Amino acid sequence: MTAILEVDNLVKKYGDFEAVGGVSFSVEQGEVFGLLGPNGAGKTQTISMLTGVIEPTAGTARIGGYDIRSQMDQVKKINGLVPQDLALYPTLSARANLNFFGRIYGLRGKELKERVEDVLRIVALTDRADQAVDKYSGGMKRRVNIAAGLIHHPKLFFLDEPTVGVDPQSRNHIFESVLRLNRERGMSIVYTSHYMEEVELLCNRVAIIDQGKIIAMDTIKNLTALLGGGVIYVGLARVDDEILAGLAGLPAVAEATTVPSPVAPPASEEQALEAADRPPVSTEALVKVVAKQNQQAIVNVINYLNEHNQNLTSLEILEPNLESVFLHLTGKKLRE
Amino acid sequence: MAALSIAYKDLQILFKNRGLILQLFLMPILFTAIMSGALGSLGGDGEKDTRIPVAVVNLDGGEASRQFINGLEAAGGVRVESYSQAEAQALFDDSQIMRIVTIPANFSTNLDSNHPSTIQILNHKDAQIQETEAVRLVVEGVAQDMTLESQILFSLQQMGEMNAAAPTVYQQAFSTENLQRQARAQFEAARSQKLVSINQRTPAQQAEEERLAEEQPRLEDVTVPGFAVLFVFMTAQTTALSIYNEKKVGSFRRLLAAPISKVTLLGGKMLPNVITGILQIVVLFAFGVWGMRALGLKPVSLGNDYLALVLTLLLLVLCSTAMGILIAAIARTEGQIGGLSTLLLWGLGFLGGCFMPLFLLERFLKQLPMVVPHYWAKRALESLLIRGVGLADIGLELAALSGFILLFLAFGLWKFDFD
Repeated sequence: MTAILEVDNLVKKYGDFEAVGGVSFSVEQGEVFGLLGPNGAGKTQTISMLTGVIEPTAGTARIGGYDIRSQMDQVKKINGLVPQDLALYPTLSARANLNFFGRIYGLRGKELKERVEDVLRIVALTDRADQAVDKYSGGMKRRVNIAAGLIHHPKLFFLDEPTVGVDPQSRNHIFESVLRLNRERGMSIVYTSHYMEEVELLCNRVAIIDQGKIIAMDTIKNLTALLGGGVIYVGLARVDDEILAGLAGLPAVAEATTVPSPVAPPASEEQALEAADRPPVSTEALVKVVAKQNQQAIVNVINYLNEHNQNLTSLEILEPNLESVFLHLTGKKLRE
Repeated sequence: MAALSIAYKDLQILFKNRGLILQLFLMPILFTAIMSGALGSLGGDGEKDTRIPVAVVNLDGGEASRQFINGLEAAGGVRVESYSQAEAQALFDDSQIMRIVTIPANFSTNLDSNHPSTIQILNHKDAQIQETEAVRLVVEGVAQDMTLESQILFSLQQMGEMNAAAPTVYQQAFSTENLQRQARAQFEAARSQKLVSINQRTPAQQAEEERLAEEQPRLEDVTVPGFAVLFVFMTAQTTALSIYNEKKVGSFRRLLAAPISKVTLLGGKMLPNVITGILQIVVLFAFGVWGMRALGLKPVSLGNDYLALVLTLLLLVLCSTAMGILIAAIARTEGQIGGLSTLLLWGLGFLGGCFMPLFLLERFLKQLPMVVPHYWAKRALESLLIRGVGLADIGLELAALSGFILLFLAFGLWKFDFD
């Protein structure tokens, strides 16, 4: 396979602030590539440089063989962009919006009409195409937003947080549309999100980005393998090197380290959301146990602590997923 | 083509905004109608006597003076009110009468003997310039008629006496041809040597106002150019808001990601302002020509040089558009755009003379209005529409407007934040 996108040490600075600190990655033809990171990590800035919205401070990229610094006019014809904002004209109908964006890409007459009908079908809004956009639900607006980015049949499609503020039904619809575009039309897609589940569902490969830098990049399988079988956070009344060594030496345990207190042990996705507003669990010592096999490691850890008369003050078990990978790599949650 | 597509889309959005349409198109018409009506004459006087009152002091009392007073009444436009000299002076000092026409003693005797005589007109300092001028014209007209009549009659009387006294052999000298020649000579003499002349006295301040009135337009004449300038500059706010909204909803980013240049993008955002401004002008001037007439108001003149008028209006629209880019570049929030627009458009409109004739503005503010583009646009339009001058006479105004366009565009593009 050949790369449709090759990013080489791209940098964006605003004065002394480095929004993007030299990211490099590539996207293969027909691949769905994820950029996962919390808000402010530099995902949108990276996409903005690749789509010609802002100029890079340093570095470059090639899209479809064209350099973004010297051949942006060609690059723009290949790219499609769905910005994070609802970049639509609310008083105009969906059809009028799509007609406008189509004309901007040089489409006219019958071809424009056919493209508009085509993208309306993709986002399933043909029936309500003549209604003003401001009369739509949030999910429907998001779908028109996607349709507007597709009108010129881009080869490389950038979707920047396309599901923000969307109801579950529309979110599923967007997922289906993205997968169909990739599978049926062979479209290469760069998908940014701070929702782990979306990236896990849609993407072949993922770059985890934080504070303007890519901190890990691989397939989801390989990234979660970084955590082995998972992570167990154990709260103890006290901890010393002997206990740590004992935990690390247990069967099914890869490593055991202390975590600076107080850090709330992370929970599952749903639990993390619910716990977001609560104060962190108070522990005198927190031990992070990376497991080779989660279930077996839990049994071994609890038995060991009982045998050594250690009081357990808390216990959190993380399944191996991108959220726990991000936490493992940065010490913070995706949505902090 | 992309710029046209952007402009077409913006016009679609604009024409869906009824409030904005009212502001851009109806408000100028309402302002013009109301201000023209208030400043000019709305008619509707009904049976009221609209003749100008004239106080006449007759110090003569003879036949000629009675004939003069009858002449004034018959001329129309003035209403004669007779007073004694003392009464008239007292009322004049009390500002109850605005002018006194005094017929001198021996007026009739002088005319009978073909000796010149002078009618005095005394104008009050608060008298309206137009009325004073009208009275002067009526008095002069009647005086001229009396001069002619008196001199012809005197001439014929002299010839009759000479004919009666002459021997039969010389009576052929009084043939019809000779009599006609004599009458024509007297007619010419009456025109060049006025038997009844007029002496008008006016206080110094009033004289200055009369001079200005001859040079400057009336208040109601300046409403259409004034409001055309004011409301065309109002569209600058629409341009700034359009760009702000485009950035706010994120469509500006989408357009930046499209294969169009920044010049095309900005051109597309400016074009609707140009089109809207031209439409505003067409609507306002159509109202000025036909609507004002239909309302019984004085219609606006389009001047004598249509090319100069079109060029002036085009520069006005471009200047407004450039100002819109400047506002969009400076203001960061909707509130800032609103505040800045109010200050720049209403404040500069007032300073630039959109609400009053420039000669009045200059009397109070001297050369200060020259720092705003409204002033130059208004000055050019007043010159074209009211004084009927041509392109060659408004070169300075057009150059100033062009300078403002370049200045606004340069500063606006320099400060414009595409990110």
